[in-house]
Amino acid sequence: MRKTTFRIIILLSFTIVILQSCYPGEELTYSDTDIVATFYNKDVNFATKQTFAVPDSIIRIDENGNPVSDPGPFDQQILNKIKSELLALGFAEAAAPANADVLVIAAVTTSTWASGGCYYSWWYPGWYPPYPGWCYPVYYTYKTGSILIAMLNANANEAESGLWIAGINGLLGDSNTSTSSRINRDIEQAFNQSPYLGDGK
Amino acid sequence: MKITNIKFWQLITIAALVILMFSNSYSQRQQWYGALTYSVSIPSGDTKEFIDEIGWRGIGLDYRYLVNKNVTVGLYFGWNVLHKRSEELTQLETDPPGAIYGIQEKTINSFPIMASAHYYFGERKKIRPYVGLSAGGFIMLQRYEIGIFLFDNDQWQWGIAPEAGFVIPVERDFGLILNGKYNMAFTGENAVGKEVNNAYWSINAGFVWEP
Repeated sequence: MRKTTFRIIILLSFTIVILQSCYPGEELTYSDTDIVATFYNKDVNFATKQTFAVPDSIIRIDENGNPVSDPGPFDQQILNKIKSELLALGFAEAAAPANADVLVIAAVTTSTWASGGCYYSWWYPGWYPPYPGWCYPVYYTYKTGSILIAMLNANANEAESGLWIAGINGLLGDSNTSTSSRINRDIEQAFNQSPYLGDGK
Repeated sequence: MKITNIKFWQLITIAALVILMFSNSYSQRQQWYGALTYSVSIPSGDTKEFIDEIGWRGIGLDYRYLVNKNVTVGLYFGWNVLHKRSEELTQLETDPPGAIYGIQEKTINSFPIMASAHYYFGERKKIRPYVGLSAGGFIMLQRYEIGIFLFDNDQWQWGIAPEAGFVIPVERDFGLILNGKYNMAFTGENAVGKEVNNAYWSINAGFVWEP
Protein backbone atom coordinates (compact mmCIF):
# COMPACT_ATOMS: atom_id res chain seq x y z
CA MET A 1 0.00 0.00 0.00
CA ARG A 2 2.80 2.36 0.90
CA LYS A 3 4.52 1.62 -2.40
CA THR A 4 1.34 2.17 -4.38
CA THR A 5 0.78 5.53 -2.72
CA PHE A 6 4.33 6.49 -3.47
CA ARG A 7 3.93 5.56 -7.12
CA ILE A 8 0.72 7.57 -7.35
CA ILE A 9 2.52 10.64 -5.98
CA ILE A 10 5.29 10.22 -8.53
CA LEU A 11 2.80 9.68 -11.32
CA LEU A 12 0.87 12.82 -10.38
CA SER A 13 4.08 14.83 -10.28
CA PHE A 14 5.06 13.77 -13.76
CA THR A 15 1.52 14.22 -15.04
CA ILE A 16 1.61 17.85 -13.97
CA VAL A 17 4.82 18.28 -15.93
CA ILE A 18 3.32 16.59 -18.98
CA LEU A 19 0.17 18.67 -19.00
CA GLN A 20 2.05 21.90 -19.38
CA SER A 21 1.65 23.52 -22.76
CA CYS A 22 3.92 22.63 -25.67
CA TYR A 23 4.38 26.32 -26.38
CA PRO A 24 4.96 28.14 -23.11
CA GLY A 25 4.88 31.71 -24.50
CA GLU A 26 3.35 34.56 -22.58
CA GLU A 27 0.26 36.50 -23.57
CA LEU A 28 0.96 39.25 -26.10
CA THR A 29 -0.32 42.80 -25.93
CA TYR A 30 -1.07 44.74 -29.12
CA SER A 31 2.25 46.56 -28.94
CA ASP A 32 4.07 43.24 -28.47
CA THR A 33 3.12 42.35 -32.04
CA ASP A 34 5.00 45.29 -33.53
CA ILE A 35 7.92 44.50 -35.75
CA VAL A 36 10.28 46.86 -37.51
CA ALA A 37 12.19 45.63 -40.54
CA THR A 38 14.71 47.68 -42.50
CA PHE A 39 16.69 46.97 -45.65
CA TYR A 40 19.29 49.05 -47.44
CA ASN A 41 21.14 49.15 -50.71
CA LYS A 42 24.66 48.03 -49.83
CA ASP A 43 26.15 49.74 -52.90
CA VAL A 44 25.14 53.19 -51.75
CA ASN A 45 27.48 55.54 -49.90
CA PHE A 46 25.13 57.36 -47.54
CA ALA A 47 27.82 59.93 -46.77
CA THR A 48 27.00 61.46 -50.15
CA LYS A 49 23.37 61.94 -49.12
CA GLN A 50 23.16 65.06 -47.03
CA THR A 51 19.79 66.65 -47.73
CA PHE A 52 16.26 65.31 -47.77
CA ALA A 53 12.75 66.25 -48.78
CA VAL A 54 9.56 64.74 -47.40
CA PRO A 55 6.23 65.18 -49.27
CA ASP A 56 3.37 66.87 -47.40
CA SER A 57 1.12 63.84 -47.50
CA ILE A 58 1.19 60.14 -46.95
CA ILE A 59 0.20 57.56 -49.51
CA ARG A 60 -2.77 55.67 -48.10
CA ILE A 61 -3.84 52.37 -49.58
CA ASP A 62 -7.06 50.55 -48.74
CA GLU A 63 -7.46 46.83 -48.24
CA ASN A 64 -7.98 46.29 -51.97
CA GLY A 65 -4.79 48.11 -52.89
CA ASN A 66 -6.55 51.26 -54.07
CA PRO A 67 -5.28 54.72 -53.07
CA VAL A 68 -7.27 56.59 -50.44
CA SER A 69 -7.48 60.37 -50.64
CA ASP A 70 -8.71 61.07 -47.11
CA PRO A 71 -5.91 61.76 -44.65
CA GLY A 72 -5.57 59.51 -41.65
CA PRO A 73 -5.50 60.63 -38.01
CA PHE A 74 -1.77 59.90 -37.63
CA ASP A 75 -0.47 61.13 -41.01
CA GLN A 76 0.99 64.40 -39.80
CA GLN A 77 2.51 62.73 -36.76
CA ILE A 78 4.23 60.17 -39.01
CA LEU A 79 5.63 62.86 -41.30
CA ASN A 80 6.85 64.96 -38.37
CA LYS A 81 8.51 61.97 -36.75
CA ILE A 82 10.30 60.97 -39.95
CA LYS A 83 11.62 64.51 -40.36
CA SER A 84 12.83 64.73 -36.77
CA GLU A 85 14.63 61.39 -37.06
CA LEU A 86 16.35 62.44 -40.30
CA LEU A 87 17.45 65.70 -38.72
CA ALA A 88 18.73 63.80 -35.68
CA LEU A 89 20.86 61.64 -37.98
CA GLY A 90 22.47 64.75 -39.44
CA PHE A 91 20.49 65.21 -42.63
CA ALA A 92 19.44 68.74 -43.56
CA GLU A 93 16.03 69.51 -44.96
CA ALA A 94 16.30 70.82 -48.51
CA ALA A 95 14.67 74.13 -49.29
CA ALA A 96 12.93 72.52 -52.26
CA PRO A 97 12.54 68.88 -53.33
CA ALA A 98 14.55 69.60 -56.46
CA ASN A 99 17.56 70.41 -54.30
CA ALA A 100 17.37 67.30 -52.13
CA ASP A 101 19.73 64.34 -52.32
CA VAL A 102 17.03 61.94 -51.16
CA LEU A 103 13.25 61.83 -51.12
CA VAL A 104 11.64 60.11 -48.17
CA ILE A 105 8.09 58.96 -48.72
CA ALA A 106 5.70 57.12 -46.43
CA ALA A 107 2.76 54.83 -47.16
CA VAL A 108 0.18 53.44 -44.77
CA THR A 109 -2.13 50.50 -45.20
CA THR A 110 -4.41 48.44 -43.03
CA SER A 111 -5.56 44.88 -43.60
CA THR A 112 -8.21 42.70 -42.05
CA TRP A 113 -7.25 39.07 -41.73
CA ALA A 114 -9.43 36.08 -41.15
CA SER A 115 -7.85 33.05 -39.65
CA GLY A 116 -8.77 29.83 -37.99
CA GLY A 117 -7.37 27.03 -35.99
CA CYS A 118 -8.00 23.87 -34.13
CA TYR A 119 -9.11 24.03 -30.52
CA TYR A 120 -8.33 20.84 -28.70
CA SER A 121 -10.77 19.71 -26.13
CA TRP A 122 -11.22 16.93 -23.66
CA TRP A 123 -14.11 15.83 -25.77
CA TYR A 124 -15.76 17.01 -28.90
CA PRO A 125 -18.99 18.88 -28.00
CA GLY A 126 -22.08 16.82 -28.47
CA TRP A 127 -20.21 13.57 -28.83
CA TYR A 128 -20.31 10.65 -26.50
CA PRO A 129 -18.16 8.84 -25.55
CA PRO A 130 -15.36 11.41 -25.35
CA TYR A 131 -12.85 11.47 -28.18
CA PRO A 132 -9.67 12.88 -26.69
CA GLY A 133 -7.48 14.69 -29.13
CA TRP A 134 -10.31 15.84 -31.37
CA CYS A 135 -10.55 19.48 -32.05
CA TYR A 136 -13.20 21.85 -33.20
CA PRO A 137 -12.49 24.77 -35.49
CA VAL A 138 -12.36 28.37 -34.31
CA TYR A 139 -12.37 31.40 -36.58
CA TYR A 140 -11.33 34.94 -35.79
CA THR A 141 -10.43 38.16 -37.53
CA TYR A 142 -7.79 40.71 -36.73
CA LYS A 143 -6.67 43.97 -38.22
CA THR A 144 -3.10 44.93 -38.88
CA GLY A 145 -1.56 48.24 -39.77
CA SER A 146 1.60 48.82 -41.74
CA ILE A 147 3.78 51.84 -42.37
CA LEU A 148 6.30 51.79 -45.18
CA ILE A 149 9.00 54.44 -45.28
CA ALA A 150 11.16 54.55 -48.40
CA MET A 151 14.25 56.63 -49.06
CA LEU A 152 14.71 57.24 -52.77
CA ASN A 153 17.52 58.78 -54.71
CA ALA A 154 16.42 62.27 -55.79
CA ASN A 155 19.03 62.40 -58.50
CA ALA A 156 17.47 60.64 -61.45
CA ASN A 157 20.82 60.40 -63.23
CA GLU A 158 22.13 57.89 -60.72
CA ALA A 159 21.43 54.23 -61.32
CA GLU A 160 20.23 53.32 -57.84
CA SER A 161 16.79 54.71 -57.01
CA GLY A 162 15.86 52.73 -53.89
CA LEU A 163 18.29 53.40 -51.05
CA TRP A 164 16.56 52.30 -47.88
CA ILE A 165 13.17 50.99 -46.82
CA ALA A 166 11.55 50.43 -43.45
CA GLY A 167 8.47 48.33 -42.85
CA ILE A 168 6.55 48.60 -39.61
CA ASN A 169 3.75 46.18 -38.85
CA GLY A 170 1.54 45.43 -35.91
CA LEU A 171 -1.92 44.55 -34.70
CA LEU A 172 -4.45 47.37 -34.59
CA GLY A 173 -7.20 47.63 -32.03
CA ASP A 174 -5.64 49.54 -29.22
CA SER A 175 -6.62 53.05 -28.21
CA ASN A 176 -5.53 56.04 -30.31
CA THR A 177 -3.17 57.13 -27.55
CA SER A 178 -1.42 53.80 -27.57
CA THR A 179 -1.30 53.69 -31.37
CA SER A 180 0.25 57.15 -31.43
CA SER A 181 3.02 56.19 -29.02
CA ARG A 182 3.63 52.93 -30.88
CA ILE A 183 4.04 54.87 -34.15
CA ASN A 184 6.64 57.17 -32.60
CA ARG A 185 8.48 54.31 -30.94
CA ASP A 186 8.58 52.16 -34.06
CA ILE A 187 9.67 54.93 -36.45
CA GLU A 188 12.42 55.81 -34.00
CA GLN A 189 13.44 52.14 -33.90
CA ALA A 190 13.58 52.00 -37.72
CA PHE A 191 16.14 54.79 -37.79
CA ASN A 192 18.02 53.54 -34.73
CA GLN A 193 18.63 50.17 -36.34
CA SER A 194 19.93 51.90 -39.50
CA PRO A 195 22.94 53.84 -38.20
CA TYR A 196 24.61 53.77 -41.66
CA LEU A 197 22.12 56.46 -42.75
CA GLY A 198 24.07 58.90 -40.62
CA ASP A 199 27.46 58.11 -42.20
CA GLY A 200 29.50 61.22 -42.95
CA LYS A 201 27.12 63.66 -41.27
CA MET B 1 -3.35 23.74 -15.90
CA LYS B 2 -6.02 23.73 -18.58
CA ILE B 3 -7.64 20.33 -18.94
CA THR B 4 -9.25 21.51 -22.17
CA ASN B 5 -5.84 21.80 -23.80
CA ILE B 6 -4.90 18.17 -23.39
CA LYS B 7 -3.77 16.68 -26.67
CA PHE B 8 -4.04 13.13 -27.79
CA TRP B 9 -0.33 12.40 -27.51
CA GLN B 10 -0.30 13.71 -23.95
CA LEU B 11 -2.98 11.20 -23.00
CA ILE B 12 -0.99 8.44 -24.68
CA THR B 13 2.09 9.43 -22.68
CA ILE B 14 0.17 9.42 -19.43
CA ALA B 15 -1.36 6.05 -20.28
CA ALA B 16 2.13 4.69 -20.97
CA LEU B 17 3.31 5.97 -17.60
CA VAL B 18 0.41 4.30 -15.82
CA ILE B 19 1.11 1.00 -17.54
CA LEU B 20 4.80 1.26 -16.77
CA MET B 21 4.39 2.14 -13.13
CA PHE B 22 1.60 -0.23 -12.17
CA SER B 23 2.40 -3.18 -14.35
CA ASN B 24 3.39 -6.29 -12.36
CA SER B 25 4.65 -8.32 -15.27
CA TYR B 26 8.16 -6.98 -15.33
CA SER B 27 8.57 -6.91 -11.58
CA GLN B 28 7.60 -10.57 -11.29
CA ARG B 29 10.05 -11.75 -13.90
CA GLN B 30 12.71 -9.19 -12.97
CA GLN B 31 13.85 -9.07 -16.58
CA TRP B 32 12.60 -5.63 -17.41
CA TYR B 33 12.92 -2.40 -15.63
CA GLY B 34 11.70 1.05 -16.27
CA ALA B 35 12.98 4.50 -15.48
CA LEU B 36 11.07 7.73 -15.28
CA THR B 37 13.10 10.93 -15.14
CA TYR B 38 12.72 14.65 -14.94
CA SER B 39 14.85 16.14 -17.67
CA VAL B 40 16.59 19.48 -17.94
CA SER B 41 17.94 20.35 -21.36
CA ILE B 42 20.90 22.57 -22.24
CA PRO B 43 21.05 23.59 -25.90
CA SER B 44 24.26 23.13 -27.82
CA GLY B 45 25.57 23.85 -31.33
CA ASP B 46 22.98 24.96 -33.88
CA THR B 47 20.21 24.64 -31.32
CA LYS B 48 22.03 27.05 -29.01
CA GLU B 49 22.25 29.56 -31.83
CA PHE B 50 18.47 29.45 -32.07
CA ILE B 51 17.63 29.23 -28.35
CA ASP B 52 20.40 29.91 -25.86
CA GLU B 53 18.37 29.20 -22.76
CA ILE B 54 18.10 26.16 -20.51
CA GLY B 55 14.90 24.18 -20.88
CA TRP B 56 13.39 23.31 -17.53
CA ARG B 57 10.52 21.27 -18.90
CA GLY B 58 11.26 17.72 -19.78
CA ILE B 59 10.59 14.11 -19.07
CA GLY B 60 12.23 10.83 -20.00
CA LEU B 61 10.89 7.32 -20.08
CA ASP B 62 13.12 4.26 -20.36
CA TYR B 63 12.13 0.65 -20.73
CA ARG B 64 15.12 -1.67 -20.50
CA TYR B 65 15.40 -5.43 -20.93
CA LEU B 66 18.11 -7.29 -19.05
CA VAL B 67 20.20 -9.32 -21.52
CA ASN B 68 22.55 -10.33 -18.74
CA LYS B 69 23.57 -8.86 -15.41
CA ASN B 70 25.58 -6.09 -17.06
CA VAL B 71 23.76 -5.34 -20.29
CA THR B 72 20.31 -4.02 -21.14
CA VAL B 73 18.64 -3.17 -24.42
CA GLY B 74 15.48 -1.17 -24.59
CA LEU B 75 13.56 1.84 -25.70
CA TYR B 76 13.85 5.47 -24.78
CA PHE B 77 11.17 8.11 -25.11
CA GLY B 78 11.51 11.70 -24.04
CA TRP B 79 10.15 15.17 -24.27
CA ASN B 80 12.21 18.32 -23.85
CA VAL B 81 10.95 21.86 -24.27
CA LEU B 82 13.30 24.69 -25.16
CA HIS B 83 11.83 28.16 -25.22
CA LYS B 84 13.05 31.71 -25.37
CA ARG B 85 11.16 34.97 -25.52
CA SER B 86 13.25 37.98 -26.36
CA GLU B 87 12.95 41.48 -27.68
CA GLU B 88 15.94 41.88 -29.91
CA LEU B 89 17.38 43.19 -33.13
CA THR B 90 18.29 40.47 -35.61
CA GLN B 91 20.62 41.29 -38.46
CA LEU B 92 19.46 39.77 -41.74
CA GLU B 93 22.19 38.48 -44.03
CA THR B 94 19.97 38.83 -47.03
CA ASP B 95 20.36 40.66 -50.32
CA PRO B 96 19.63 43.48 -49.73
CA PRO B 97 20.90 43.29 -46.16
CA GLY B 98 18.71 44.44 -43.30
CA ALA B 99 17.59 44.04 -39.76
CA ILE B 100 14.39 43.15 -37.98
CA TYR B 101 13.32 44.15 -34.50
CA GLY B 102 10.49 42.81 -32.41
CA ILE B 103 9.45 40.39 -29.73
CA GLN B 104 10.45 36.91 -30.73
CA GLU B 105 9.21 33.63 -29.34
CA LYS B 106 11.31 30.61 -30.21
CA THR B 107 10.26 27.14 -29.15
CA ILE B 108 11.49 23.63 -29.78
CA ASN B 109 9.61 20.59 -28.56
CA SER B 110 11.90 17.61 -28.96
CA PHE B 111 10.57 14.07 -28.64
CA PRO B 112 13.40 11.56 -28.82
CA ILE B 113 12.29 8.04 -29.75
CA MET B 114 15.19 5.63 -29.69
CA ALA B 115 16.40 2.11 -29.23
CA SER B 116 19.02 1.89 -26.52
CA ALA B 117 21.78 -0.33 -25.18
CA HIS B 118 23.49 0.10 -21.82
CA TYR B 119 26.42 -1.49 -20.05
CA TYR B 120 26.51 -1.45 -16.22
CA PHE B 121 29.63 -1.62 -14.11
CA GLY B 122 29.76 -3.13 -10.65
CA GLU B 123 27.27 -5.44 -9.01
CA ARG B 124 23.52 -5.41 -8.56
CA LYS B 125 22.19 -3.90 -5.34
CA LYS B 126 25.10 -1.47 -5.30
CA ILE B 127 25.58 1.90 -6.90
CA ARG B 128 26.21 1.10 -10.54
CA PRO B 129 27.70 3.51 -13.02
CA TYR B 130 26.74 2.81 -16.60
CA VAL B 131 27.27 3.99 -20.14
CA GLY B 132 24.88 3.68 -23.02
CA LEU B 133 23.96 4.68 -26.49
CA SER B 134 20.52 5.36 -27.89
CA ALA B 135 19.90 5.56 -31.63
CA GLY B 136 16.82 6.56 -33.51
CA GLY B 137 15.57 10.06 -33.94
CA PHE B 138 13.61 13.00 -32.73
CA ILE B 139 10.23 14.42 -33.55
CA MET B 140 11.17 18.10 -33.59
CA LEU B 141 8.39 20.67 -33.35
CA GLN B 142 10.08 23.99 -34.02
CA ARG B 143 8.41 27.37 -33.99
CA TYR B 144 9.63 30.91 -34.53
CA GLU B 145 7.22 33.79 -33.94
CA ILE B 146 7.89 37.46 -34.49
CA GLY B 147 5.14 40.05 -34.49
CA ILE B 148 2.11 38.50 -36.11
CA PHE B 149 4.26 36.18 -38.20
CA LEU B 150 4.86 32.55 -37.39
CA PHE B 151 7.22 30.06 -38.97
CA ASP B 152 7.05 26.45 -37.93
CA ASN B 153 8.70 23.29 -39.05
CA ASP B 154 7.73 19.91 -37.63
CA GLN B 155 9.84 17.02 -38.76
CA TRP B 156 11.57 13.77 -37.93
CA GLN B 157 15.32 14.13 -37.45
CA TRP B 158 17.60 11.09 -37.22
CA GLY B 159 20.05 11.07 -34.38
CA ILE B 160 21.77 9.42 -31.46
CA ALA B 161 22.15 10.07 -27.74
CA PRO B 162 25.25 8.78 -25.94
CA GLU B 163 24.73 8.61 -22.21
CA ALA B 164 26.47 8.04 -18.91
CA GLY B 165 24.92 7.78 -15.49
CA PHE B 166 24.37 6.00 -12.19
CA VAL B 167 21.73 3.69 -10.85
CA ILE B 168 21.41 3.89 -7.09
CA PRO B 169 19.40 1.11 -5.43
CA VAL B 170 17.11 2.14 -2.57
CA GLU B 171 14.87 -0.87 -1.97
CA ARG B 172 14.72 -4.35 -3.43
CA ASP B 173 12.97 -3.27 -6.61
CA PHE B 174 13.25 0.48 -6.50
CA GLY B 175 16.05 2.97 -6.97
CA LEU B 176 17.18 6.33 -8.23
CA ILE B 177 18.77 7.13 -11.55
CA LEU B 178 20.89 10.07 -12.60
CA ASN B 179 22.32 10.46 -16.06
CA GLY B 180 23.48 12.87 -18.71
CA LYS B 181 22.80 12.51 -22.42
CA TYR B 182 24.02 14.32 -25.47
CA ASN B 183 21.09 14.38 -27.86
CA MET B 184 22.38 14.92 -31.34
CA ALA B 185 20.43 15.04 -34.61
CA PHE B 186 22.22 14.31 -37.88
CA THR B 187 19.61 15.71 -40.20
CA GLY B 188 17.07 18.46 -40.23
CA GLU B 189 16.08 22.04 -40.75
CA ASN B 190 15.23 24.72 -38.26
CA ALA B 191 11.95 26.63 -38.00
CA VAL B 192 12.74 28.84 -41.00
CA GLY B 193 14.01 26.04 -43.21
CA LYS B 194 17.76 26.44 -42.73
CA GLU B 195 19.73 23.18 -42.53
CA VAL B 196 20.89 22.54 -38.98
CA ASN B 197 22.02 19.74 -36.70
CA ASN B 198 20.02 20.16 -33.54
CA ALA B 199 21.81 19.17 -30.36
CA TYR B 200 21.29 19.53 -26.65
CA TRP B 201 22.52 18.07 -23.41
CA SER B 202 19.95 16.61 -21.08
CA ILE B 203 20.48 16.04 -17.38
CA ASN B 204 18.00 13.48 -16.13
CA ALA B 205 17.11 12.47 -12.60
CA GLY B 206 14.34 10.15 -11.53
CA PHE B 207 13.22 6.78 -10.39
CA VAL B 208 13.94 3.29 -11.56
CA TRP B 209 12.11 0.07 -10.85
CA GLU B 210 13.82 -3.32 -10.70
CA PRO B 211 17.36 -1.97 -10.83
